[in-house]
Amino acid sequence: MKYKSQKVAYWFFAACMLLLSLQVIYGFIMGFAHMGFDGLHSIIPFNTARATHTNLLVMWLLTGFMGAAYYIIPEEAERELVSVRLAYVQLIALLVVGVTAIIGFHFNWWEGRKFLEIPRPLDYLVVVDVLLFIYLIGATIWKGKRYTTTSMVLFFGLLMTALLYLPGMIPTDSQTMDSFWRWWVVHLWVEGVWELIMGAILSFLLIKQTGVDREVIEKWLYIIVGFTFLSGILGTGHHYYYIGTPKYWLMVGGVFSALEPLAFLAMAIYAIAMAKKGGRSPDNKTALHWTIGCSILSFVGAGFLGFAHTLPQVNMYTHGTLVTAMHGHMAFWGAYAMLVLAIISYSMPIMTGRKLQDTPMNMFAFWTSNIGMVAMTVAFGVAGIAQVYLERKLGLDFLGVQKEIEVHFFGLILAASLFTLGIIAFIWNFIRFGLPSDQR
Amino acid sequence: MLSKSQAKAFFLVGTALCAGSFLLLTVDTLKRIPVQTNAKNLTAQAIRGKHLFETNNCMGCHTILGEGAYYAPELTKVYERRGVAFISQMLRDPESMYPGQRKMVKYDFTDSEIDSLVVFFKWIGEMDLNGFPPKPDLMVSSGASGILEAKNRPIVFNQMCIACHSLQGQGGEVGPALDGVGSRRDPAFIRQWLLNPLAMKADSKMPKLPLTEGDIVELTAFLSQLKESQK
Repeated sequence: MKYKSQKVAYWFFAACMLLLSLQVIYGFIMGFAHMGFDGLHSIIPFNTARATHTNLLVMWLLTGFMGAAYYIIPEEAERELVSVRLAYVQLIALLVVGVTAIIGFHFNWWEGRKFLEIPRPLDYLVVVDVLLFIYLIGATIWKGKRYTTTSMVLFFGLLMTALLYLPGMIPTDSQTMDSFWRWWVVHLWVEGVWELIMGAILSFLLIKQTGVDREVIEKWLYIIVGFTFLSGILGTGHHYYYIGTPKYWLMVGGVFSALEPLAFLAMAIYAIAMAKKGGRSPDNKTALHWTIGCSILSFVGAGFLGFAHTLPQVNMYTHGTLVTAMHGHMAFWGAYAMLVLAIISYSMPIMTGRKLQDTPMNMFAFWTSNIGMVAMTVAFGVAGIAQVYLERKLGLDFLGVQKEIEVHFFGLILAASLFTLGIIAFIWNFIRFGLPSDQR
Repeated sequence: MLSKSQAKAFFLVGTALCAGSFLLLTVDTLKRIPVQTNAKNLTAQAIRGKHLFETNNCMGCHTILGEGAYYAPELTKVYERRGVAFISQMLRDPESMYPGQRKMVKYDFTDSEIDSLVVFFKWIGEMDLNGFPPKPDLMVSSGASGILEAKNRPIVFNQMCIACHSLQGQGGEVGPALDGVGSRRDPAFIRQWLLNPLAMKADSKMPKLPLTEGDIVELTAFLSQLKESQK
């Protein structure tokens, strides 16, 4: 570790591990409920489990991005963070707000708006907390010895993430307007500015692990984020097909979102090409696995499976079915969860000084969680396609269809168990690394 | 090959162009939405319904406009599909409409809150959604006699009975199929049953439905002529 303040990241990553475990538990609650085992209904009804599951995801990914930024920025800017103490304050405040929101969900305190369920008073606290984070990162870059493309893209991505949280708070009485602004947040995050964060973290990881020249890697970073915005911004249109918005979005959204896989494809080719080009054998194979795996599965999950139902003619039938859950699971896993796990895998041996990165247990965690997630995606996909066919094409009753597809949720739970085994192994490794140490 | 500064220019110019077009389209869309969604019908009552829909996170199980979770039915066309009586009863006590089935939270809504939600669903159902939700285009058409065509059935049958019972393969699977029920039960039995199922069979899963006298007369007549031979 070059700079002592980088080890702030450890606590952000530790928080990630905790939130991720909770997210998995709530996922199981929903999987079982879909199979008819809803014994927890009176304490944790489905809508509570659902809001908790998705908000924990968003929270641990953001916590992971923040940890990544606290780790990367000192090294890129070549100076210590401006304040370590405020960084801890920022983490604790974020966790307090997050946990309060999650508890609130269990007492019917929320905004029933998909992915943005956090109650309004807490929204303001989130904004304040994120502003503090942006300040800490921004000031460190500003006072740093150098501005790198990687740090600027990362900063811009984080800043835009904070700013784009605001449209979600525009008050409206219309369901259509509500959805319209909600997608400014959700879509422009995950298919826009989060990809900047992803590109920047990937390029940091590739620079460090492959030894390829920074100029080459950062040039490609520009191309990739260029593609991201070319397709992603107008690609928002794929959420505006059927919610009471003008018909031209079918054309605009269809054409531009069909281009979205290109950015992810470029990201995959770039990561693989750089890793090959580097030619030096990495001293952390696990981290390189997660890095390359992230670039490949983000293309499969976000790029390919997203494309599979983004065209308006297809989306007409798949909109609002389990097909969306199929795409959502692998997209978030491939693009963002694996990214955070990659930076954790990379930084842990450096922060703790313990060289435990290439144990068989680490490889087990990587392969088991990934195979588990692929199998989960297949289970969701089969359930989703069956639902589309029976409900949307044959016109069968909703509950009748749900009974027909219960068996696929059994498959889902088996796959999720495998996935969980991998996650447990990952967390076990995380714990084995121990606390960060100042000794190199 | 492209230099780093060219790559940067590609990023900046591309982003600016796309963001600019997106903002222009947004301005236009905001102008058109009120017309397309009949904003004039968005009364104070409908707005209260939306607020209730939101504060209870109905989207956490249901989809509306195709958005939400996939645990409970799509609600975009629920006003047309189920009608006021069914929706109101469901909101009053979900368990009474689908006993022993997938559960919905009982929210203890007041009658006026229920009315607001119904008005909200009506407003949602009347929007122009560019063709969503699609009509099931492979639906098995009911073959034989015209009397059984979906459009000739009493509206209350299509809104309420079909939620649990099927006829000619279409409908719910909670209760028994109603094909040929007129051969198995006489009109007097059907009438008494509709008035209060629990009085006829104490452990029946079927609740006492919010039916008017007119509904019961119409349904009795309709069900009585569903003879076995027509299967």
